[in-house]
Amino acid sequence: MTPRLVFDAAAGLAILFACVMVVHRHPVKSVLALVVSFFALAVTYVLLAAPLIAAVQVIVYAGAILVLFLFVLMLLNVPEEARQSSDRPIHQALSAGGIVAFAAALLAVLRGYGATQAAPSVAPSPGDLAPVAKLLFSDHLLSFEALSILLLAALVGAFVLARREGSP
Amino acid sequence: MTANGIPIGDVLLASAALFVIGLAGALLRRNAISIFLSIELMMNAANLTVLGYAAALHSLEGQIVVFFVIAIAAAEAAVGLAIFVALFRHTETIDVNQINLLKW
Repeated sequence: MTPRLVFDAAAGLAILFACVMVVHRHPVKSVLALVVSFFALAVTYVLLAAPLIAAVQVIVYAGAILVLFLFVLMLLNVPEEARQSSDRPIHQALSAGGIVAFAAALLAVLRGYGATQAAPSVAPSPGDLAPVAKLLFSDHLLSFEALSILLLAALVGAFVLARREGSP
Repeated sequence: MTANGIPIGDVLLASAALFVIGLAGALLRRNAISIFLSIELMMNAANLTVLGYAAALHSLEGQIVVFFVIAIAAAEAAVGLAIFVALFRHTETIDVNQINLLKW
């Protein structure tokens, strides 16, 4: 199997489950479909020679962020979205038109790229973490540390926002 | 231009499809959490493009950028979900059509 076939299969799976996510009215099923989609995306990341990002995608995105979504959904007991859709027809029609126009514009831009042919290039080397780590902890060390402050601020902010009024 | 034998056109097409699906979800859903999920999907579509070009150009900077994007998405998800929890306590709903406190 060529990398291209695997990539196309994984990307197709990701797109399919993204569609399932958008179509489902029940939010819990949406989250579960998105988990599958993100796993398929992790496969494409491996094929694009980014094994570290693929691992982070599985651990942080599928493992932490989406589980947080599931927790909040269970906490709020969100009901299934009602099937009514006629309360704002103009709004919905405008949205649909905007989406179609945007998709058409994207396709027009990408048309020139579709014909590029595949040429064998460097094979993906899954063990290549050291260069990324060196770059992350040398050139981007300041951003990395700033990121830890950002995460701390988000932690405190989430705590303050979600706390019950009047409790200490 | 190819990334590891994968034509960059495939990567861009997959990324564009995911982005458009996410955009449709963000505009057409009424549940705030579903909208948030769609935004996460759009962010992943952008990540896919960045990684595709990083592989095609044999650059590692793209991976660093995506690493930061994922970390910031984690922070954003935590704060956003906390806002939804607080909102739900106030209004008993997270249907965006019924939340119009700051509208007009």
